[in-house]
Amino acid sequence: MKELKVQYEKVLSDYLLNQNESNLYIGQNLVRQLMKNNISPEDLVSIHKQSMENIVPNLPEEVLNSFDFLIEVMVHFGLKLKEHQSLLLKQEEIRIEMEIAAKIQNLLLETKIPKPNGLDIGMVSVPVRKMNGDYVHFMHDDEKYFSVAITDVVGKGVPAALCMSMVKYGLDTLEYANSNPSYVLEVLNRIIEKSVDDSMFVSMFYGRYDLENDIFTFGSAGHEPALYYNSKEQTFTDLDSKGLLLGVLPEIKYSQTDIHLSENDFIIMVTDGVTEFRNMKNFDSRTYIKELAKSLRHLSAQEMYDKIFENLNKLNNFRLTDDFTIVIIKKY
Amino acid sequence: MRNHPTVKIVTELDIVAARRLSRNMAKEIGFGVVDQARIATATSELAKNIYLYATTGEIVVEKIEKNGQKGIAITAIDNGPGIANPHKILEDGYTKSTSQGAGLPGVKRLMDSIQINSELGKGTVVRIEKWLK
Amino acid sequence: MNVNVQFRAEENCIYGIIEGEIDTFTAPVLREELDVINLKEGMNIELDLSKVTYMDSTGLGVFVAFYKKVIKENAKLKLVRLSKRLARLFEITGLSELMDIETDKKVEPANECI
Repeated sequence: MKELKVQYEKVLSDYLLNQNESNLYIGQNLVRQLMKNNISPEDLVSIHKQSMENIVPNLPEEVLNSFDFLIEVMVHFGLKLKEHQSLLLKQEEIRIEMEIAAKIQNLLLETKIPKPNGLDIGMVSVPVRKMNGDYVHFMHDDEKYFSVAITDVVGKGVPAALCMSMVKYGLDTLEYANSNPSYVLEVLNRIIEKSVDDSMFVSMFYGRYDLENDIFTFGSAGHEPALYYNSKEQTFTDLDSKGLLLGVLPEIKYSQTDIHLSENDFIIMVTDGVTEFRNMKNFDSRTYIKELAKSLRHLSAQEMYDKIFENLNKLNNFRLTDDFTIVIIKKY
Repeated sequence: MRNHPTVKIVTELDIVAARRLSRNMAKEIGFGVVDQARIATATSELAKNIYLYATTGEIVVEKIEKNGQKGIAITAIDNGPGIANPHKILEDGYTKSTSQGAGLPGVKRLMDSIQINSELGKGTVVRIEKWLK
Repeated sequence: MNVNVQFRAEENCIYGIIEGEIDTFTAPVLREELDVINLKEGMNIELDLSKVTYMDSTGLGVFVAFYKKVIKENAKLKLVRLSKRLARLFEITGLSELMDIETDKKVEPANECI
């Protein structure tokens, strides 16, 4: 410490005699030694003050006092700076953990699109944050049935993602694609009601497609109605099915409805991130999507959702406010 | 502890009084200007915690001696809401910057030691010490 | 973006007006505000949602959790003066079948779409 003081005073007095770059450079090189000796910024100000007193005798009182003032400020400044830095560090740790969790989630909840005979299937699911609160699950185990579940967890981020993993495993245990939608919803409701806290729920639209007879049977648990396009009549119908969100009450019954699909008919399933436009209070998004989809009806399922996503994203000024998922099933 | 100089913390002005008390004591003991600033700053943080989160409490300043070494101890006592995990609060980044105890990891760095005793609903006692080297 | 609740208590009734936007960020605030209510058996709680300008599904979660709490205490909860937009949210999710919900057409601009 004493040696450093002498050194600092020497370098400082050199600089006061000759304000050149080389003296500045020597001064800066002292920093490494200061750090090695655990000299804090406020210590340095104190050393500076003492050096000045020696180099320039009879310094005005105000100048000396100003150094004391600077010492005080530096102590508090250092305190706050360290607090800030440790928060940044913590934040970085959390960011890394989130990234890993998101990767695991993507791996766990990866959706593979099946290719059942006679159906063209396309989907897109874009999370607004790192973790997706939407999930699409397909089942196609034999040539007779194909089923689809589109889900949205109320809530976002990590809690939603954890809840979603549970939904996925619930669906996995059902194993076969030929289960009745009402049964599937009832089973999942029981699982979720038992295991999640009071403010967390899942909405789900579940559909089963009978590939031999082209019958689509669907049920809904508090989910945004799907859109069914009848190509012969060129009309849309809301696939509305009243049912409570999953996880609110135990022992809830769900109903299911059959529709028959003909060539070029299609069904669009969405989550509320697709229909909810926060900044356009009076915008009728469902009508907009219907008109858009109608104009795109000659395209493949994949091309359709690409275009729909592109258009809606543009309307949202390319800033999603919620997880965004569309599934399109087209009969050809 | 009753015989040691004490400042009751009720208004923001009392924070300044606590700083003054600890600084004068530090000077008397023989701490240099920089350490005086550190001690006053640490005292200030403790007093501010009382003022912001406990509404009232007090700061006690005392000279301490051990094995011929001299030092200063400042104790902050309040009857506030208390801290749930007093030991955890010393970890950086544990609390939100706006909540009680946010400044304590920093205070720890300015001093040689810190001790926290707290019970939810009963209040908190924080004692910090610094030794003359 | 903010949400706040003002309560008025009358004998066995509590009347609250919720104002603002309810989303992921403000939902915890609303939850805390509602938790302040000291629920008693037979109590009637009415929440006026006419000044809620936006609500997403996180907001629904808050109301359902609160509803469950109210039912557990044998009290009653009624949500009143919902805009069409909000009412639709409760309808789609099946919650309007469960909870006591009253819309009020007077607060709606005539041209609003469903």
